[in-house]
Amino acid sequence: MKRRVTAGLLTAAMMTMMLTGCAGSSGDKKESGKESYTIGIEQFAEHGSLDNCREGVLKGLESEGIVEGENLTIDYKNAAADMGTAGQISDSFVSDGVDMICAIATPAAQSAYNVAMDAEIPVIYTAVTDPVEAELADADGNAVGEVTGTSDKLPIKAQLEMIRNLLPNAKKIGIMYTTSEANSVSAIEEYKKLAGDYEFAIVEKGITATADIPLATDELLGEVDCITNLTDNTVVSSLATILEKAGEKKIPVFGSEIEQVKLGCLAAEGIDYISLGEQTGKMAAKVLKGEKKASEMKYEIITEPGFYVNTKVAENLGVEVPEELAKNAVESFHEISAE
Amino acid sequence: MNFMVTIIEQGLIYGILALGVYITYKVLDFPDLTVDGSFPLGAAVTAALITRGMNPYLTLLVSFASGALAGICTGLIHVKGKVRDLLSGIIMMTALWSVNLYIAGTSNVPLFSQKTIFKNKLMDGMVPKSLRPYSTLILILVLVMICKVLLDLYLKTKSGYLLRAVGDNEALVTALAKDQGNVKILGLSLANGLVAMAGSIFAQEERVFEISMGTGAIVIGLASVIIGTSLFRKMTVFKATTAVLIGSIIYKACVAIALKNFEPNAMKLITAVLFLIILIFSMERKGGAKKHA
Repeated sequence: MKRRVTAGLLTAAMMTMMLTGCAGSSGDKKESGKESYTIGIEQFAEHGSLDNCREGVLKGLESEGIVEGENLTIDYKNAAADMGTAGQISDSFVSDGVDMICAIATPAAQSAYNVAMDAEIPVIYTAVTDPVEAELADADGNAVGEVTGTSDKLPIKAQLEMIRNLLPNAKKIGIMYTTSEANSVSAIEEYKKLAGDYEFAIVEKGITATADIPLATDELLGEVDCITNLTDNTVVSSLATILEKAGEKKIPVFGSEIEQVKLGCLAAEGIDYISLGEQTGKMAAKVLKGEKKASEMKYEIITEPGFYVNTKVAENLGVEVPEELAKNAVESFHEISAE
Repeated sequence: MNFMVTIIEQGLIYGILALGVYITYKVLDFPDLTVDGSFPLGAAVTAALITRGMNPYLTLLVSFASGALAGICTGLIHVKGKVRDLLSGIIMMTALWSVNLYIAGTSNVPLFSQKTIFKNKLMDGMVPKSLRPYSTLILILVLVMICKVLLDLYLKTKSGYLLRAVGDNEALVTALAKDQGNVKILGLSLANGLVAMAGSIFAQEERVFEISMGTGAIVIGLASVIIGTSLFRKMTVFKATTAVLIGSIIYKACVAIALKNFEPNAMKLITAVLFLIILIFSMERKGGAKKHA
């Protein structure tokens, strides 16, 4: 019986802890003057690219004179890939009365907008591949409410053109993707649509979990001349496995962003998530300063993809990188970094 | 105070899931992993039907039916196919992943522009302005109470007693000349029906279907059931179903505390520690258990 009482007390203590947590944050808010801002950053999962986005957002804000620690308070929360937790985070930001929610990745953006729309708190998102499909923007790219941001849509046309330039004789491109990731599914559709223009055929392999990757890689490598990556979270997390298997068979793997090229992909026409974040941070600054409302801004994409190449990988595979391409590379890597 | 409202809202929605898990885990003594698939199944069915213009309230019933069907499948695999209980659940959970993708059409379906049970003309007309911020909570509370009372009443019927007998004493059921396999199938379908309905409500509250939303649902359900039943074991004022619902709210409160006061990477660890503390302090003294052995 005693223990039961203790348990009751503990529960009560927990409740108090929660309440003081609330009280504490609302107290902070009162202290801050008009020239300082509070942003709640809601990131859907722990992930390299998404972390880069977050870093970029802070940089973008800083370049507009909004600096963390000086006139900006950041409340950063991560939903650990759980929708329920994402909902709780969004709600806590709204009840804390933050000036803006910055949401990273599609489910976080949807969850934030779901609660923020009634509270009239602006939401700025990044790393949302298709804001139209996610109902965060209308078909013309206009915001559906106080919500706007940047899309990390892949420059697929540029990627196909680049692969054609590097591998003049290749016929089949293999792509592995997770069936549960909406971003990947829409990217595959676009690849299939555009591949014909460059005389490629796309071979797709859908997986459901990390555990499927070794088998799927083996199957894919038996059928294709090269592999190209999407920004698929599950696949990118297991890039090392894919690169090792492909390396044994001397089959080139193309990346979709700078980090992947660093790790040993041959090349990429891709996005740099830090600069995507910076672009987002600048949009956020405009809204915070009151220059523009979120609803007045269309969502943005990175217009000029950057070319990244790893010369060490090219040498290993015996692939010749045309002088002209190499010259235009935003960044060339001469070694394969372990991590 | 908004924050507390969210905890109770989410706790109650997952409470319906926990009621389902209570039927399988506590009453039937069947570790049913179908839940990870049937929770998003309810959401997928709801998303597919609402975007095609079905009345959102009807989707609750349809999703219950879809979950019940999934439960029947698990039961058939176990009873007729003689597959072990844990494995039957795993098989259905795995299969449902694809089924959910087919039903929803894609892995993420937003419902922002659709009518939901929380946002439609009827709700706007019925709820007075002063109660607007709590309309979601009130509706969830009503739905949860309906589920709870119906379940309580059902457990008192003859069929309900049989369900409990299967968990406690299988021989008794056979002695009563009843087929315990059928009782198990019935229990599983009821449980997964509730779980799918929780999924439907959750999708409408968050206004999105996301394929990954079921991952770990069984863990939340089990935790809620165990917290609830062990905290209130001696307090006979509370029915087990009430205890389970409170357990679910406490689980969500643990997550909220971890979110509020600690850095993001520590969140899961803190949730686990809080969970453990509650369990240890609410457990019976070990001496008592030894006497029985």
